[in-house]
Amino acid sequence: MQERLQEVFRKVFGNDKLVITESTSAKDIKMWDSLTHLELITAVETEFNIRFSFTEVMEFNTVGDMMHAIREKI
Amino acid sequence: MNFNSSVFFLFLFIVVLVNWLLPQRSRFWFLAGASLFFIGWHNIESFFAVILFSLFNYFIAKRVSGKRALYISSVSINAAAILLFNFFSESIFGFIFSVSSVSFHVEKFIIALGLSFYSLQNISYLTEVYYKRMRPEKNIFRFTLYNSFFPKIISGPVMFPKEFLPQIDNTVVTKEKLVSGFQRLLLGLLKKMVIADRLAPAVSSIFDHSNEYSGLTTLVASYLFTIQLYFDFSGYTDMALGIGRMLGYELKENFNLPFRSASVSDYWRRWHISLISWFTTYVFYPVAYRLRSLKKMAAVIGLSLTFFVSVIWHGIGITFFAWAICHAIYLSIEVFTKRYRQDLSEKINDKLFKCVGVFIVFNAVCFSNIFFRSDSIGRAFELIKNEFSDFIPGDWLRDFIAPLAVGGHQLDKFNFFSTIILLLVFLLFERKINRISESVSFNVKYVVACILLIMTFGIFDSGTRFIYMQF
Repeated sequence: MQERLQEVFRKVFGNDKLVITESTSAKDIKMWDSLTHLELITAVETEFNIRFSFTEVMEFNTVGDMMHAIREKI
Repeated sequence: MNFNSSVFFLFLFIVVLVNWLLPQRSRFWFLAGASLFFIGWHNIESFFAVILFSLFNYFIAKRVSGKRALYISSVSINAAAILLFNFFSESIFGFIFSVSSVSFHVEKFIIALGLSFYSLQNISYLTEVYYKRMRPEKNIFRFTLYNSFFPKIISGPVMFPKEFLPQIDNTVVTKEKLVSGFQRLLLGLLKKMVIADRLAPAVSSIFDHSNEYSGLTTLVASYLFTIQLYFDFSGYTDMALGIGRMLGYELKENFNLPFRSASVSDYWRRWHISLISWFTTYVFYPVAYRLRSLKKMAAVIGLSLTFFVSVIWHGIGITFFAWAICHAIYLSIEVFTKRYRQDLSEKINDKLFKCVGVFIVFNAVCFSNIFFRSDSIGRAFELIKNEFSDFIPGDWLRDFIAPLAVGGHQLDKFNFFSTIILLLVFLLFERKINRISESVSFNVKYVVACILLIMTFGIFDSGTRFIYMQF
């Protein structure tokens, strides 16, 4: 799952060399702001064919939080 | 009781001393009381307004969790208070009320209800409890301290409940915190009294007599206003953070070298950070999230609505509306050109790309701030038109140096130019100066330099308000 998620991150942030870990957060990726966050959520939802709730989205602080929410839905 | 008045310093000395002497468990009672005293000193109507709204929000929050109708109506009441504040503080409604017999105090009371920074924190508290992200506070004094803590009630920083409430039980006042807080307070005083207040007459002379100046003079005045606003507001924030630290609290940073932003979205991550994070959490995300199937248009709609709400918060007026439109346009352009700009930054020299970005962003912000500062939309358009006519002054002394240096009224050329030198030093070495002010050991050279500069160049006029106190 992490590899699929990494591909989504690479596509959204336009960086083919981007490597993510569970502890990766917005502070680690230069372009990860509130605007890109929205784009990222939509791309992740499309890739895994899931829907996040608004509360879940607001509580994503790290890639690990996102992976946890994805695992619960697939 | 302005932060730069002598009576405030007496109040502060007593509060810091008593808070330090009190046992930890009793401090929040004392600080809640001191905050209400501070508000009551401002005016008694504000005191009653804050008590009334604190009681209202405290008791509503106990029942609001998961109850949609109650949540919407209580948030609407808080939001209506902000709207009333803006209407009564500067519109004809204020006049209508002021001519009726009982009205003057009623008007002040209504204005106080909408203390904008206070109301934002109440909305935040109700929202967090409604969405079950926190339990309602059990002690009304702790809640009152959260929304009315005197260093932040007038102009922020806006704190989320989870950022402030947990600190109440863990306040530790150490010698290091007292020293570091005092040094931060001095930095704020210096920024306000030596730089912002000294730039004010120069800015006023050109903005208020826009028909007399043009070209470079008007352009420089628009730069100086943005710099004045920064030093005024970041100076206030330094003082609020310094006072908070002396009382054992860490308040949120509001600024992070905003004039080094290479994009407008970067600028909004560095300017008035606490307000922007409030708007992002409670306005932008909920709107943009629900519309996310529209992709980039969701961001554009979310941004536009966020700035529209920001206009209402800043003051209902066409000039603020024009300011907000500028920023909504800047940010929308950035949404659609993000990938292109990223590619461009990889192709050309990174430093050059950043320098050009910083120059463009600074000019774009100064342009929008012409609307922010102008007293009418007509005046703003006149200033913009003047900027592009007769660019080079015909008579440098009369048309450029005189209005900027003496502010049209004050014969203090020397002080004005020393202010320019000082502000340049600040902008170039800001990170280093901030680091020194944050030091936990007493830095004699820094403290003496600050005091000497304030005593020599500071404007000691207790009537000078902070710009953001009007919001």
